[in-house]
Amino acid sequence: SQVLNRPTQQPSSIDYQQPRQYRIGEVKVSGYKFLDPIALTSLTGLKEGDMITVPGEDISRAIQKLWDQGILGDVDVTAHTEGDVIYLTFNLTERPRLSNFRFSGINKSQGEALRDKVPLQKGRIVTDAVLNSTRNVVREYYVDKSFLNVKVNITQRPDSILPNSVVLNIHVDKGDKVKVGDISFVGNEAFKDKKLQRQLKNTKEKRFYKIFTSSKFNRTKFEEDKEALITFYNSQGYRDATIVSDSVYRISDDRLGIQITVDEGQQYFYRNITWAGNYLYDDNYLARVLGISKGDVYDQVELEKRLTYNPTGVDVSALYQNDGYLFSSITPVEVRVDGDSIDVEMRVVEGPQATINKIIVSGNDKTSDHVILREIRTLPGQKYSRDDLIRTRNELAALGYFDPETIGLNPIPNPADGTVDIAYSVTERPNDQISLSGGWGGPIGAVGTVGLSLNNFSTRKMLDLSEWKPIPSGDGQRLSLNVQANGKYYQSYSFSFTEPWLGGRKPNSLSVSLFKTIYRSGGYTDYYRRLYGVEDENTSNSRLNVNGASVSLGRRLSWPDNYFYMNHSLSYTQYNLNDYPLAVNFRNGTSNSISVVNTLGRSSIDNPTFPRRGSQFTLSLNMTPPYSLFSEREDDDYTFIEFNKWMFDASYFINVAGNLVFNTRAHFGFIGNYGDGAIGPFERFRMGGSGLGGGNIFVGTEYIGLRGYDDETVVNNLNDQSLLSSGGIAYNKFVFEARQLISPNPAATIYGLAFVEAGNNFGSYKNYSPFKLYRSTGVGVRIFMAAFGLLGFDYAWRLDDLPGRADDKRGMFHFIIGQQIR
Amino acid sequence: CSNFQQLLKSNDVSKKYQAALEYYEQEEYYRASQLLDQVTDLMVGTEEAEKAQFYRAKSHYMQGNYILSNAYFRTFYTTYPRSPFAEEAMFLQAQSLYEQSPSYQEDQTPTLTAIEAYEEFLVRYPNSERVERVNIALEELYTKLDRKDFNQARLYYKLRYWRSAAVALNNFLQEHASSPYAEEAAFLRLDAQFRYAQESVPDKQEERYDVVLDYFQAFVDTYPESRYKRDAERIFEGVQEALGTIRKTANNQNS
Repeated sequence: SQVLNRPTQQPSSIDYQQPRQYRIGEVKVSGYKFLDPIALTSLTGLKEGDMITVPGEDISRAIQKLWDQGILGDVDVTAHTEGDVIYLTFNLTERPRLSNFRFSGINKSQGEALRDKVPLQKGRIVTDAVLNSTRNVVREYYVDKSFLNVKVNITQRPDSILPNSVVLNIHVDKGDKVKVGDISFVGNEAFKDKKLQRQLKNTKEKRFYKIFTSSKFNRTKFEEDKEALITFYNSQGYRDATIVSDSVYRISDDRLGIQITVDEGQQYFYRNITWAGNYLYDDNYLARVLGISKGDVYDQVELEKRLTYNPTGVDVSALYQNDGYLFSSITPVEVRVDGDSIDVEMRVVEGPQATINKIIVSGNDKTSDHVILREIRTLPGQKYSRDDLIRTRNELAALGYFDPETIGLNPIPNPADGTVDIAYSVTERPNDQISLSGGWGGPIGAVGTVGLSLNNFSTRKMLDLSEWKPIPSGDGQRLSLNVQANGKYYQSYSFSFTEPWLGGRKPNSLSVSLFKTIYRSGGYTDYYRRLYGVEDENTSNSRLNVNGASVSLGRRLSWPDNYFYMNHSLSYTQYNLNDYPLAVNFRNGTSNSISVVNTLGRSSIDNPTFPRRGSQFTLSLNMTPPYSLFSEREDDDYTFIEFNKWMFDASYFINVAGNLVFNTRAHFGFIGNYGDGAIGPFERFRMGGSGLGGGNIFVGTEYIGLRGYDDETVVNNLNDQSLLSSGGIAYNKFVFEARQLISPNPAATIYGLAFVEAGNNFGSYKNYSPFKLYRSTGVGVRIFMAAFGLLGFDYAWRLDDLPGRADDKRGMFHFIIGQQIR
Repeated sequence: CSNFQQLLKSNDVSKKYQAALEYYEQEEYYRASQLLDQVTDLMVGTEEAEKAQFYRAKSHYMQGNYILSNAYFRTFYTTYPRSPFAEEAMFLQAQSLYEQSPSYQEDQTPTLTAIEAYEEFLVRYPNSERVERVNIALEELYTKLDRKDFNQARLYYKLRYWRSAAVALNNFLQEHASSPYAEEAAFLRLDAQFRYAQESVPDKQEERYDVVLDYFQAFVDTYPESRYKRDAERIFEGVQEALGTIRKTANNQNS
């Protein structure tokens, strides 16, 4: 179809300067062998009769679509035109497609891990690029594990079943592990090699005694470490310090050497610090808050910290940032350098105060908006305050519904109208706990436990079936059910429900709990018989039922500060005895206990799972009405039990370095009576062991752990058998723990600890002496898993002998289940 | 049953595909999807690939696996925009997102994605017979977003943080003036601002009562027949009285 009268124009040529529209006359494919031409044509997205622009995006988009399928080796297009009609031919080259791949030379689990990482996809073609990146992925995986000499070899062979398909075999030869053998420095005069080596946090020499230190070599981490080294020099006043060169060389097949040459430069000191641009606060006040004076070592890192944000102390910007001055900034400028002295001018820009406009919450795909919003301290209409933001993060973390490490705080300023929106983002984490356990419960034999605690329950959604996924949740209510039994001899049922914001208007919580426990002493072992002084063998009908209920109201206080809270509860417990030797002269009948518990507490910890800073204390008083003050009572009249119980717990967390936290605790408890009657047998302290009460929790008894000693054995005078059986009436305990966070992963937070503790439990006030303590020390580990709560394992070594038990083993293991308060 | 297990283990792509079609016709979507999951990627470039991909997406959709069906429908209509199934695929993709839209009290990212998908559908197929269904769904999703914002603003009112409630409800009215919740929001804004002014220090009261008057004016203009009319008028009277007292004291002090 040549146009003869215009010979200058090439037939069917396309003018690339002038895009024009054509109608497609035909779309063809060529070069196919195994694939279907009609399917391929339809994949181009082009059809006879379509209008397309040439040159234009239509054809390149069609080629892209064919490419995207990942089944072709090459695609190009030829076209010829007849007037307005264009004929397109897609020329394809097929390549073999991947039907399967396998690894050899490595174990199965590493193969599985790599399978997810490599960019291989079944059904797609195998190109050199894919093979190369596969090789790199495998290589990097092993280099990261210190196998610097790893060799990866990929072979292809045709698949015998599927036509035009290949199977890949990826062979890995790991070679030797290569570790860092030697790190040396050149040019350092101010600091010794050892000191500098310590600054390289992730690059360490291999030494036989460094069991917990990794001596892998990782390029990126090494680069970070070099920066850390310079930061260290800067922090010591060496403002000009640089790394001149570094070399990494082979010492042997499995050892690397590292040599770093530094130029330390000179050490600098502050001379004059002046302020400019400050109208709200005067120079002296700002200088005092800054806390840096003439002659101090010039440390840029510390200066930055004290100016902008200091998580462990005061900083200058807090003055502005907590009072709405969101746009304020302070820039230190070196105005003069004179020998080793530097003059710094602090240029302050105060800017206007910002008012909070909107609060945006995202990421809550389970928890309802109002549960989050009601905890948020930054309120629309208030002045912006950075402290409120940080406090909000702690409050959200304390709910336990979100991963505390990923709570996002993002102020979005709108400078035009002087307002700021604050966006909070959260990541939900599972926090319902199911416990199923069976164990040897000490004196009463095997005990099975089934427990369920739902920490973000919603009664409101219970009637809506579509909200059962798998249980109605998101309204922040807590529901727990617990059943514990060992067949006939011991059964315990408990139920509790908490609404944290009763009425939805104020953070007043309401809890209701019910429990029932049955003991039958037919199952007593000799140990228990001795414990309770049971002489006769015929105890099979003996039974104790304990039923109870309690209602409590909690509220947050705003005075003395808003970390305080108060809790009031009313509880009723009924003891039903049938030939059960609970006390001397008391084996049959019913005993009632009505008591009021008032608790005053303060909690300012920053994270409920692994607190780094903050403190907690509670003071509680549990008292029954003082019947004996109104009427004559016999000491062994147990119809209405009478007692008062005072408990005090304090705990303090301090972050000493990185993920190392010190925790100091003190606990006291006293039980008293009104008037001068004897204290009844119902309320007692039992001390020793893990504090779990051997799985057999007797109502009215406080179990207090003391690691290194057997469960419930610590009483100041063990020779008096009646004391051991009834427990103590006053105790105190002091604990010091050093905790190191090992894994912050919210699915399984793990930390290790070392502790020293001391405590004692006294049977009467006559021999109460708070400094006569039984001491122990040891180490342990805790793992917090969202679905199981806190589990732990301690090895403790007792340092003192209990009277009459000097031959007991000194070292012992303890299992810890759940957060221990005392 | 054992027949199905054998099919699952077999290497014969076309036999699996045929069986999957049969299961699909018999509405056994679980089995159909299991088989199609195995073969669809291996069938790319063949004549049946188009149908396989669509049926795979739809059999997941029918089972309620909306996350998967969303992804598969999307790949389908971008790959085969001319397919006779393309319109249905695009609609069902939006529908898959709609099904994932959570209750108004949770994060609404999925709702926004669903709205986007429906709107894309309307642009692409303005004459589709599904347009009416899409519009109903869109209305529902927009109302859900309104309800969420209203609920958040009203929370401050419930918590008796009057100033925050006034700010938040004011924001709500500016953004959702025509929402079904606007009337209630307008009244609550008036009430919150009134209570905020009442609680303010004397210095600030006058200017804050003036804002109440503005809100009252806006309220009666927009909703002359409101069911909150009586309460609004009571607030208005309260403001008049309070302003009267304030101005009288001011005059006394001046003279």
